[in-house]
Amino acid sequence: MRATEVAPSRLQWLIATVSDVIDETPRTRSLVLDVPGWPGHRAGQHLDVRLTGEDGYRAQRSYSIASAPEDAHVSITVERIEDGEVSPYLAGDVRRGDQFELRGPIGGYFMWTAPLGGPLFLVAGGSGIVPLMAMLRHRANAKSNATAVLLYSSRTQGDIIYRAELDALAAKNDGLKVVHTLTRETPAGWSGGTRRIDREMLGEAGFAPAERPRIFICGPTPLVESAARSLSDLGHEPALIKTERFGPTGG
Amino acid sequence: MSTDYGHGDASLALDGNAVAGLLGELFAFDVTTARLTCDGCGTIGEIATARVYGGTMGAILRCVHCDFALIRFVKTPAGYALDMQGARRIFIAR
Repeated sequence: MRATEVAPSRLQWLIATVSDVIDETPRTRSLVLDVPGWPGHRAGQHLDVRLTGEDGYRAQRSYSIASAPEDAHVSITVERIEDGEVSPYLAGDVRRGDQFELRGPIGGYFMWTAPLGGPLFLVAGGSGIVPLMAMLRHRANAKSNATAVLLYSSRTQGDIIYRAELDALAAKNDGLKVVHTLTRETPAGWSGGTRRIDREMLGEAGFAPAERPRIFICGPTPLVESAARSLSDLGHEPALIKTERFGPTGG
Repeated sequence: MSTDYGHGDASLALDGNAVAGLLGELFAFDVTTARLTCDGCGTIGEIATARVYGGTMGAILRCVHCDFALIRFVKTPAGYALDMQGARRIFIAR
């Protein structure tokens, strides 16, 4: 994929209007946006949101794009951070019809398109699932049969974002396997993992290095760095391991 | 992604993806895939993989191998200030 195919030529701020609000989990919410002039995006890219207060005060944050490139609307999924500056609004007070500024798409490095093929190994920690979900939604739209594994770590069962949709995608039996692990809870009847992602779990859930999977890891910095190191230790080529770090406390 | 303001603690650092929007105000090419040669140790890496400490108005990008400051930049009302002496070379694929 040539860099120029996704390179932005100096992005303009566009006006986004909230057209729908979807509560995903107690802590996260998806915003479906109307953005006239939106140039389109690739799965894995992100955008910047800018809020301007009545006094002119501005706050800006980056959010991964949750929607597939084929969707009519752009959507983001925001986690509400305690004492955050922007997320209490976006994942709290925001209403349909509200407007804010947005620019994107940004970032050609952390990106997957169906023609790139698989195998695809996606590793998510918490809200790190968002750009990887865009990849899985794109994979489904493209009717790709690239073999894919998603290893997804959440605090509790109730914190799993897109749970029902992931179950449905996995049930299609089109080469996607979804493995969940919980770090703070073991619900009755839970058959998934019950600890943080570690080297053993990565080795068991993922592909052999000889299969040369494209690996995308997204989540808090400690999880991303530990997983990348483990996968490299397991023998995966560093060049095939792509990472995107979220702040531990975002905003 | 959601951006944060780590300062010096590697576990709070983000990566070049986090400053791509801000650098994109200056550069017309995709900065995340541009490759920098570290003037400290010679390692070549994509900007997306650099360790980043900063926020929405500026940042320091550090080499993940030797921690050398590759790029320091800040956006001020007067303009953008960029110190790239830590990045000996930049390669942008066409």
